[in-house]
Amino acid sequence: MISGYLITILITILIYAMLAHSLNLITGHAGQISLGHAAFFGIGAYSSAMLYTEAGFPFWISVPLAAVVAGIIGALLGIPCLRVRDDFLAITTMGINFVVEAIFLYIPFFGGAMGIGGINLPKWFGRDMTKPEYFFIILITFGLLLLVDRQLGRSWIGLAWASIREDEQAAGAMGVDVVRFKVLAFILGSAIAGLAGGFYAHFLTFIMPQNFGFGQSIVILCMVVFGGIGTRWGPIIGAVILGILPEISRPIMEYRILIYGVLLLAMMRFQPGGLLGAESILSRTFRR
Amino acid sequence: MTLLEVKALSKEFDGLRALDGVSFAARGGEILGIIGPNGAGKTTLFNIISGIYPPSGGEINFEGKSILRLKPHQVSRLGIGRTFQIVRPFQNLDVEANVMVAFGHRVYPSLWKSAGSVWQPEIQKEVQDLIDRVGLRPHLKQIAKTLPLGFKKRLEIARALALQPRLLLLDEPSAGLRFEESLQLMGLIRQVCDQGIGILLIEHNMHVVMDLCKRIVVLDHGSKIAEGSPEEIRSNPLVIQAYLGKEA
Amino acid sequence: MLWQQLANGIAIGSVYALISLGLTMVYGILRILHVAHAGIYALGAYVGLFSFKLVGNFWISLMVGMAGAAIAGYLVERFLYTPLLHLPRIAPLIVSIGLFTALEEAFRIVAGPHTLTYNARIGLGDLSIGSFRLTETQILILFITIIILIFLWAFLTKTRTGLAMRACAQDPETTSSFGVNVSAIIAINFIIGSAMAGAAGVLIGVYDNQVWPTMGSIPAYKALAIVVLGGLGNIPGTVLASIVVGLAETFFIGVLAIPFPRDAVAFVAMILVLMFKPYGLLGKA
Repeated sequence: MISGYLITILITILIYAMLAHSLNLITGHAGQISLGHAAFFGIGAYSSAMLYTEAGFPFWISVPLAAVVAGIIGALLGIPCLRVRDDFLAITTMGINFVVEAIFLYIPFFGGAMGIGGINLPKWFGRDMTKPEYFFIILITFGLLLLVDRQLGRSWIGLAWASIREDEQAAGAMGVDVVRFKVLAFILGSAIAGLAGGFYAHFLTFIMPQNFGFGQSIVILCMVVFGGIGTRWGPIIGAVILGILPEISRPIMEYRILIYGVLLLAMMRFQPGGLLGAESILSRTFRR
Repeated sequence: MTLLEVKALSKEFDGLRALDGVSFAARGGEILGIIGPNGAGKTTLFNIISGIYPPSGGEINFEGKSILRLKPHQVSRLGIGRTFQIVRPFQNLDVEANVMVAFGHRVYPSLWKSAGSVWQPEIQKEVQDLIDRVGLRPHLKQIAKTLPLGFKKRLEIARALALQPRLLLLDEPSAGLRFEESLQLMGLIRQVCDQGIGILLIEHNMHVVMDLCKRIVVLDHGSKIAEGSPEEIRSNPLVIQAYLGKEA
Repeated sequence: MLWQQLANGIAIGSVYALISLGLTMVYGILRILHVAHAGIYALGAYVGLFSFKLVGNFWISLMVGMAGAAIAGYLVERFLYTPLLHLPRIAPLIVSIGLFTALEEAFRIVAGPHTLTYNARIGLGDLSIGSFRLTETQILILFITIIILIFLWAFLTKTRTGLAMRACAQDPETTSSFGVNVSAIIAINFIIGSAMAGAAGVLIGVYDNQVWPTMGSIPAYKALAIVVLGGLGNIPGTVLASIVVGLAETFFIGVLAIPFPRDAVAFVAMILVLMFKPYGLLGKA
């Protein structure tokens, strides 16, 4: 039997992998920097929590709806943001993160600083789902998302994203509707982050605004950068490694934030492609 | 047959007139040269036609329809392809994918079709034929940034041709090329033109322009100062003044 | 009451200006979003505080704080940003975020997680006219900011180096073809910007009488919002936006008592302005 501690770590890592994967869609594939990804994670978590505790929706509806809500808000915020210059996008997404966190914190409807409690693991077969079962539910969902991602990678959408990432103006001149494809990436990325938020809320059973602050966005970004921006498996591997490291060593836990910071810095400075990037030591070794 | 009609086109940047009442027409199957000293407004003209910036005044009609308020992707989907003065291939994509991006102009309007796979044999064949045509077949899988300049320019032309354009805007295709390379490129341009595609050619190399174009438009300080055959342009005193007069 | 709030708003706004100016100058010349600038600001506060504890003189601690920040800024530019300029712009941004996060942790580890007091007095006393009152530190902030702004303005408009710097921000390639040493200009740019951030750190440390490891967190993002509001890279726009944000915070939160975090005001303002003026208050397309 898997211990409760281990399964908790596994679920956390899986949720982070989903987040890293969804940010990679926006930043890696479509090339649009987002520094506020945790906002959509939070929007998903809060939507699911409110739908479950206030509106009485079951888990099986509240979590998919959370993805829809996060996707819609992603579209509403993304449409104006993606029209501005790329540097403005970085700061605006950061701003969105601060404002969203402030809304959760200051508007009593969202439970304020106390957050929302009483969100439970789902029921099935007339009983509460166990944590290992919950793990597999998330794993299967993530697997399905990866299948969709694989198709996107071979589709015209994936190609259009790559062209926008490389050169927006040239992409426009080749018939690519730049704003539309950027917004599409933003919607998909936000929706998946929202889905991860829904899973997270039901797993933690209570959520607070601080779970979804700017620091969380940086953690997600760090996983993507560490594993390799724009690669398919890099962000997931980044999430796994950076998720496990603090658990296996006490000092790493203590200096976790410092390590994340130095890692971001060192990776970009010396291995900008990340662990799985085209130019990285790892992939060069394997290609030989 | 008039393909593109530009009427009284003007563009101001911060009070500076980059283009001032420029009018001309381009026909299919013809190479129209656009020349003029640096800062004459040639690239601005291309950027306005291709929808990158809106003009301050004037009209542009393509095949009888106004394209004035269209975005770049809409202009290109109508059948106007372009290259850039400083080459802009998608640097980290290979040659095939570069051309493939432009092939997608048929599916991009539908999100559903866009979700379909790119790598279908018949599309791949079309792309490869096109790459063959510009002589890049041996470099099909090479990453664009590793190509020499001459090949990058060919790649840009292939990419523009993938739009199945009726009009091609070429911004200084021979700049930076060695003599033989530019000769080869001119051969390619002439071939494209012979298929009935209209070409607007911005070019600094006078030999190239005089050799390729039947008609030439001369811009200076944003205004059209002359239009005519190479012989007429060569002997036009205004043109000579524009090119030489500044030193005098 | 109103005048009092106005004075408070301008005092806080002028500190924002000191931080944001360095950021906008860096952006103007390198097109990098220098998030770690706020780390340099906090570093300035720490260095100033420790030197104050050693010598007990505010002015010396201000100078040492500025010098420490300037050196740190120079090192960041040489060893982190310049080698990354050939990469996509997201690379230096990520480095900057990483550096900032690491700096905050380093402060916590070296100086401890507690808030330290920076109890510097210059013996000026407060200024009171009726119910209107300027505290000693407010006077200090206004005075030092104005001096620094005059220096900056004179430097940028009257000296050759300043002119070259502005030319670089316009077009580095052309500027270098005139024989200007662009890499030296970039270094000077970082040194000046960082020294201003260091001064801001010392001033805020004294104003709030506290220095703490994450004191840069909020300024980091707020300064970015201000810089965007002012039109990235635009120096007068940045000063204007700083004062506007300082006043808006004081009025909306202090006077109207809207239950909203004061630190989100800058972002709300930024998002609103960008909707209507996508290039900032004084920015041009």
